[in-house]
Order: sequence, then C-alpha cells, then structure tokens
Amino acid sequence: MEALTGFFAAHLPVGPTLALSLAYAVCIGSLLGFITVYAMFAIWMERKVAAHMQVRFGPMETGGWHGWAQSVADAVKLLFKEDLIPRDANKVMFWFAPAVVFCGVFAGFVAIPFAVGVQIADVNLGLFFIIAIASVEVVGVIMAGWASNSKYALFGAVREAAQVVSYEVPAAVALLVPVLIVGSLRLGDINGWQEAHGWLVLRNPFVIVAALIYFISSLAGCKRAPFDLPEAESELVSGFHTEYSGMRFSFFFLEEYASMFVSSLLVATLFFGGWTLPFVNVSAMPVPVGIVVLLAKTFFFIFVQMWLRWTLPRLRVDQVMSLGYKYLLPWGFVCVVGTAVFEAMGWRWLPV
Amino acid sequence: MNEATLHARLAGSGVAGIGALDTSAKDPFVVVEADTLLAALAFLRDDPQCRMEMLHNVTAVERPEAMEVVYHVCSLTHHHSLTVKVRVPRPEGGTHASWIPEVPSVAGLWAAANWHEREQWDLLGVRFTGHPDLRRILLPQEWIGHPLRKDYVYPTEHGGMPLELDAVPLYERRAGDPAPEPKPPREAGTPLFQPPAPFSTRPEAAGGKTAEPGQGGGEH
Amino acid sequence: MEALELYTVDERADLYTEELRLNLGPQHPSTHGVLRVELRMDGEIITGSRCDIGYLHRCAEKIGENVSYLQFTPYTDRMDYLAACNSELAWSLTVEKLLGVEAPERAQWLRVIVCELNRIASHLIAFGTYGIDMGANTPFFYAFRERESIMALLERPSGARMLYNYVRPGGVAHDIDQAWLPDVLAFCDEFERRWAEYNQILTTNKIFIGRTANVGVLPREMALAWGCTGPVLRGSGVKWDLRRDVPYLWPYEEIEFDVPVGEGTHGTLGDCWDRYWVRMREMMESVRIIRQACARVPSGDFMDKNLVRQYKTPLKPGKGEAYMRCENPRGELGFYVVSEGGTSPLRCRARGPSFCNLSVLDALLPGCMIADGVAIIGSLDIVLGEVDR
Repeated sequence: MEALTGFFAAHLPVGPTLALSLAYAVCIGSLLGFITVYAMFAIWMERKVAAHMQVRFGPMETGGWHGWAQSVADAVKLLFKEDLIPRDANKVMFWFAPAVVFCGVFAGFVAIPFAVGVQIADVNLGLFFIIAIASVEVVGVIMAGWASNSKYALFGAVREAAQVVSYEVPAAVALLVPVLIVGSLRLGDINGWQEAHGWLVLRNPFVIVAALIYFISSLAGCKRAPFDLPEAESELVSGFHTEYSGMRFSFFFLEEYASMFVSSLLVATLFFGGWTLPFVNVSAMPVPVGIVVLLAKTFFFIFVQMWLRWTLPRLRVDQVMSLGYKYLLPWGFVCVVGTAVFEAMGWRWLPV
Repeated sequence: MNEATLHARLAGSGVAGIGALDTSAKDPFVVVEADTLLAALAFLRDDPQCRMEMLHNVTAVERPEAMEVVYHVCSLTHHHSLTVKVRVPRPEGGTHASWIPEVPSVAGLWAAANWHEREQWDLLGVRFTGHPDLRRILLPQEWIGHPLRKDYVYPTEHGGMPLELDAVPLYERRAGDPAPEPKPPREAGTPLFQPPAPFSTRPEAAGGKTAEPGQGGGEH
Repeated sequence: MEALELYTVDERADLYTEELRLNLGPQHPSTHGVLRVELRMDGEIITGSRCDIGYLHRCAEKIGENVSYLQFTPYTDRMDYLAACNSELAWSLTVEKLLGVEAPERAQWLRVIVCELNRIASHLIAFGTYGIDMGANTPFFYAFRERESIMALLERPSGARMLYNYVRPGGVAHDIDQAWLPDVLAFCDEFERRWAEYNQILTTNKIFIGRTANVGVLPREMALAWGCTGPVLRGSGVKWDLRRDVPYLWPYEEIEFDVPVGEGTHGTLGDCWDRYWVRMREMMESVRIIRQACARVPSGDFMDKNLVRQYKTPLKPGKGEAYMRCENPRGELGFYVVSEGGTSPLRCRARGPSFCNLSVLDALLPGCMIADGVAIIGSLDIVLGEVDR
C-alpha cells in the first residue's frame, strides 16, 4: 500500500494525506469487490460441488454455461427481498449484527499477502492480527441470535459462541508451529522463508499434524460441516440467522465464505508454501503468477472444505466441545513442543 | 394355542364375568364384564401359558344396543392372539350425544393403551377411568363432540370460519351468473346435513334392498 | 391445552435460571411430517416432552364408514403414503377375510413382490432422511436414485408412482407386462451394488455412529409394553416378524429369508443405530425375497373371478368382524373392520404402526439433548399420515 500511496503522490497533483486516502479507497474498494465476486463464485462452486457429489448437475440454466450467473441472480433476488424485522426484535442489534460479523472477517483480509508486496497493510504481527480480528464475528453472531427474539436463533447463537470461541484455542496453538519454525508473525516473512527452505509441511511430521489441527479448527470456526451446529438446518431451522432475510442474510453468507477463504488461505500460506512452488522461482516472475499460485492453493482447500461438508454428518454439541478440548488441543501442544525439540536438535526432513 | 384353548384357560382362571367364546363373527372373541376387565387382561398378560406381552389395538365400536370396546392382545412367545370385548349397554330410554360410557383403563397394564384410549375417547367419547391423562389426541382440545358417533352433529363453524356448504359450489359457477343469495344463518346445533338414520329404521336391518354406496349424505 | 410446566433450575437471585419451552413445531425440517413435540429444556438437555399429533388427521375412519369397501382402498394408500402397497394389502386381506375369499396364486406372488419393493422404497426414505437429520445431505440423493427406479417399476402395473391403488380385495388390480419380472431382477442386482455404497457413506461413518449409538435406548420390555412393532421392536433384540411368525400371505412360508435383529453392535442394544441397521439389512432381505418370488410367479388370474363380477355393484360381506395385521415397513398395520352386512363397514379401524411407535417418544426424549431428540424421532421412522389417519 505504501507503493500505491507513493504512486498517487507522484503522479497526481494531490498532497500526501489525500494520496494516502486515495490509496486506502482504492485498496478497500478493490478488496470489497474481490470479496463480493469471490463469494458469488464460491457459492456457485459450492452448489456445483454439492450437486456433482449428489449425482445431479446443479445450476445449469442461468447464464448458459453451467449456470454461472446463478449467484448473480441470487444476489439480485436477495437485494429485492422485503426487509423483515420481527416485531419484538431488538432493532439496533438486529441491524448491527450482520455488519459486525462481516466487518470482523473483512478486516482480516487487510493483512493478507497475495504475492510479494501485494498487501494492503504489511502488519508485522500479521498472523496474530488476522486471528484476533476474525474473532470479532462471534460477537456479531451472538447479537444476531439474541436480537432475533426467537428461541431457535438463541440456541444457534449460544452454540456458536461455545463452538467458535473454543476452537480458536487449538487453531492458535496449531498456528504456533510454523511461527516457531520461521521465527516471525509476519505473513510475508513466512512466505519468503518457505521460498528459501521449502514448504513447511515437509519440515517435520509435527507440522503435518499441526496443519490438520488448524484445518479442522478452522472448519469449526467457519461453522462449516461437520461443525455447522449454529446453523443446523435439521434441528434449528436455520440457527442464528433464522429471522434474517434478504440482504441481511446475505451478509452472513458472505461472512461464511469470506472466513472460508481466509482460513484456506492461511493453510496455504503457512503450511503449503503460499505463493511459492517447489522447483520454480516464483518471486522472480511477474506478480500475477504468485497471485495465481496462491489462489489455486486456496481454492483447492476451499474445495476440500466443501467436500467435507457434503460428505459428513454433523457432530453434536458436546462431541464438538470434547473434540476441541480433549483431542485437538492436547495434540496441538504436543506439536508445538515436538517442533520446538526438533528445531533445537536440528532434525528435519529436508536438508535446507 | 388357538382361541378356544385360550378362552378355556381364561375361563378357568378364577376371574369372574368371562363370557363364552363367540364364534358367530369371522374372528372369535370373548366378552368380559367391565368390572373384571382389568383382572382378566392382567391374567392374559401374566399367565405363563398365555403371555400376552403386547396390546395390539384398542377400538371402540358404537352399536345400536351398546358401546363395545375391543382389545386385541397378542403374544410373541406363543404366537397366538385373542380378541376381548367389553360391552357397555345404552341406558334405558335412549341416549343423546352426551352419553359417555365408562370403561376401566388398561394403561396400567400396557403403556400402549395410553394413546389408543385417548384416541377412542377423542373420536367416540368412551371415558376410560383411571387413565393417567385422558384428553383429546387427534382433534384440537376445544373440539365439541365425538365425531365417530353415529349421531354426531357436524359443527357449523370452527374458529370463526363458517363450515356451510354453498348451494352452488364455486367450481360450478359461471361468469355472469347472479351471485347466489346468502343462506339464512343456521341455528347453532342443527346438523349440517341429515345424519345417518338410526339403525332400527334402516332398510338393511330389515333385510331390505341394497343401499347405495356413500349413503349418509343428504342435501348434496 | 395447558403447556408443560417449567421448573426453575437455579433460584439464586443473581443467577436465576428457568427451563425453556421450545416447540419442535409442526413446521420443522426434521419431524418427518407435521408433528409437534413440545419440549421443556434445560439448556440443550430435554427435561420433558409432550407429543401433539393430529395435524394430518383426515377422518379416514369416518370416511370408511361412508364409502364402499373398494372405494376405501385408495384411502389406505394415503395413510402410510410411503408404503402404500403394504397398507392396501392389510385392508385387502381384512376384506377378503370378511368375504371369505382368497386371492389367486398369481396375485399372491405379485403382491409379495410389490410389497417388498415398496418396503425397500420406504426404507430408502428412512435412510435418506435420517442422513439429512444428522446433517449428511448426500445419502438422500443416492437413496432417491434407487427409489426412482422402484417408482418407475411400480408405475408399470399400477399406473401411479407413489399411491398405487394396486392391491385390492381379491387380488391385484392389473396384470404385469412381459418384461416386468426381468426388470425387477435387474433392479435387484443394481440395488445390491448401491447398498454397499450406502454403508460406506453413512453406516460406518464415525460421526454418524457417534450421533446414533447409545442414543434413544429402547429396552425390550419397554418396546413390548408400548406396543412398538417393526424395526423399532427388532432393533431392541426381539426377533418378531409377522411374515415369518404369523404369515399373512402363504408365499412367505415358502420363501427363505432372515429377520435381522439389533445386536448392540456399536453401543447399547436398542439404540438408534441398531434400528437403523435393522432397516438397512431388511432392504437386503427384501431383495432376497423378491428374487425368489420372481422365479415363482405362476400364470393365472390376477384377481378373484367372482369378485371381478361383484365389483360392478358394491361389495357386501356378511355380518361379521375381522382383524388382520400385516408387516409394514414401519411395523404392524392392523385393520379391524366390523360389517353389518351393508356396503360400508360399521366400524373401520386402522391400527397404525407409527401411532404406537410414536407413543414411546414421550418416554424416550427426556434426558437427551435436542440433537439426540432429532436422532430418536428419525430412528422411529414415523409417517404422520399413519399416525393421524
């Protein structure tokens, strides 16, 4: 972003503050645009993936080729829907909740590096910032459940509070492992380190386990199956967003797909090399190559998340909690300690 | 054991009021007195030779002379079953819709009877004394009347919605027809259409000609 | 109706907690129809439940007293609409008992094939919707792929895809075409392959086992006392199947088949997984029965000749009463018909298996969580058309 500010300051007759603001506006605008387009594409992809796993076709009509315009049509439909607020709902919280939820996830995008130097804010606590700011959405979900004045929504909100907050712990512990090896929280540094030393998953066996733990915990954090209790359709009608319709509902949907993107991207960046490829020097190539590589890995992990959703049944809430606290968390600690020992001893798979 | 042996065993059990095995209908059945119903059924359930573990069905049948409650019990260990009936005769001088025959409840013997008896109370108005929770099960709690009775009066309105039949149904009205004139409001309690005639006056009872299928309608 | 009373859980002034009253209401994705269960909950745990049925009550028994015996056959379809042929069979057998006729041999064997195909179709829905209740949305589509084949097969003799009006007093309504039996056998081959797929995706899935094992344990005595029949009873370890123990169609005595029983494989005997596994194995047993029956269908009449002539005027059985019970996919369906010699019965009572199986719900639900509650309702496999009639 500094590059963009510099670009504006140099080429446009504006002062430094205005250049900064312009740079901000362009970056945030393009990010918003990217997220929206991505979400529409991800929803289409989910429907297609679900359909093909269920021996059917999915959207085929809208837009011609395999129904690519289905999401666009859905977005337009949601925009035109009646804005219903239950009579006894807490209007302020009802209005605020989708905003809080979406902003929490959206703010995390700011610190993500898409390629060398392509980053809105090069936060030196990048990883920590992303995890922390993404947990703001919990507040939004609880607000949504409470403000809806519906018992089903309340159930969904309370379950979500328990689940998402609990699973942030094993997620954070598992994320300590790459940080331990690399020695920095800055995502750009981690990417650069992997370019020099190879992918982190190939470092030692504990990293693989840590990657799995983080992936599962992020599934729970995104409220994806098999952890989709907060929106368990067959038990709670629609969970915490039962009473939401139209654009407000689509905010929750956007948030779900955005956090899927963030967690897949973190898996790709932290464990699977980010924009690097094994035998190719990507940083010497033009920037779009790095972006494409990173996005390809991210979409692969998003596909895995969708695959899991349509294959597995749902866990019960006490099983979710026991999985998080009794299995993932202890194994997360084992990975951290084991990695520390291996690093200290210099044991690794790859010689580099 | 077949029904005859079962009946013999039941008759020899010491429980009073066991009638003879009636084989005039297609399925043989035993008529038991209402006072000793519980004892008889408990014997059937507990006696090792009978071992009727399952109460399969509880039905009430409204006949011209009595209200019958029919119990079908069956045994899984012995692969046999028996039909037991209780008859509550109508009181002298005829009955009206508020006649509620009473029969002891067997919900203490078999938990299955709980819902069966609630249904027969709901639809036929047989009160089962000693039932833990006798209230309507299929119809709304505020329903009046017991629909499967032969003298059931159909309500004229429910929840504010009139249940009148139009003289000309909607699907037979043509555009341009004059609107049908509104019927005068029906008095509460008068039947929607003619209920089925009492048994004694029906032609089949006297061996008369075939009645048409769907008989029981009236004005429409 | 007074609602369930709520009990106070914690009375301290700073942390007053009370139980929550939740309606698993008539409109709900998981109640398999319009069923209302009023729950009293302490957080996620159900402390009291009260079933409220009657939302699909269509006065079938009153209608039965006003229409003729043949006219009532389609109404029996609509009671258990997922196993229509089996319900029609129970009604037809009762009327045949009253009339004193027996269906010809070809009709009996055709009835067996059609009823077993319907049993597979019904269990497929139980399997698919149980997956959806648990959150696995995919097995439902696989189940419907096979169900589509069955419905196409059954459309050929009867003319309808789901509510067949095919098994009638005296036999069956229409004859089958030449290619029907080979097509049924081809379906059986296909189905055996798919059955293995279903087990891979749902039956052996650890999450599914975790959700259904040790949940909703129905002990043997409780099942018998509450009148549960069918897979609900067999899941509790009771080896009772009317087709084997009190055969209502004589072809069942000549066909070899097993009666699967729950064994407590993954948890306690009588839990949801046992009932589910009984249904899965029953599908394979039905395939076995169909294969043997297809080989033995003789030529001949498909409807009793006297009754065909009699259908021009309504049937008039003599005075009498009859009770016949048949093994439906959901349990034992019993019809008790009292005839006074007229064209309509005096009393026409349907003892629905789902009615009795559902009555045990109020005893099973307290103490489990709401997710388990959904699992239990799904494992009882009810059809509200039969509960409410």
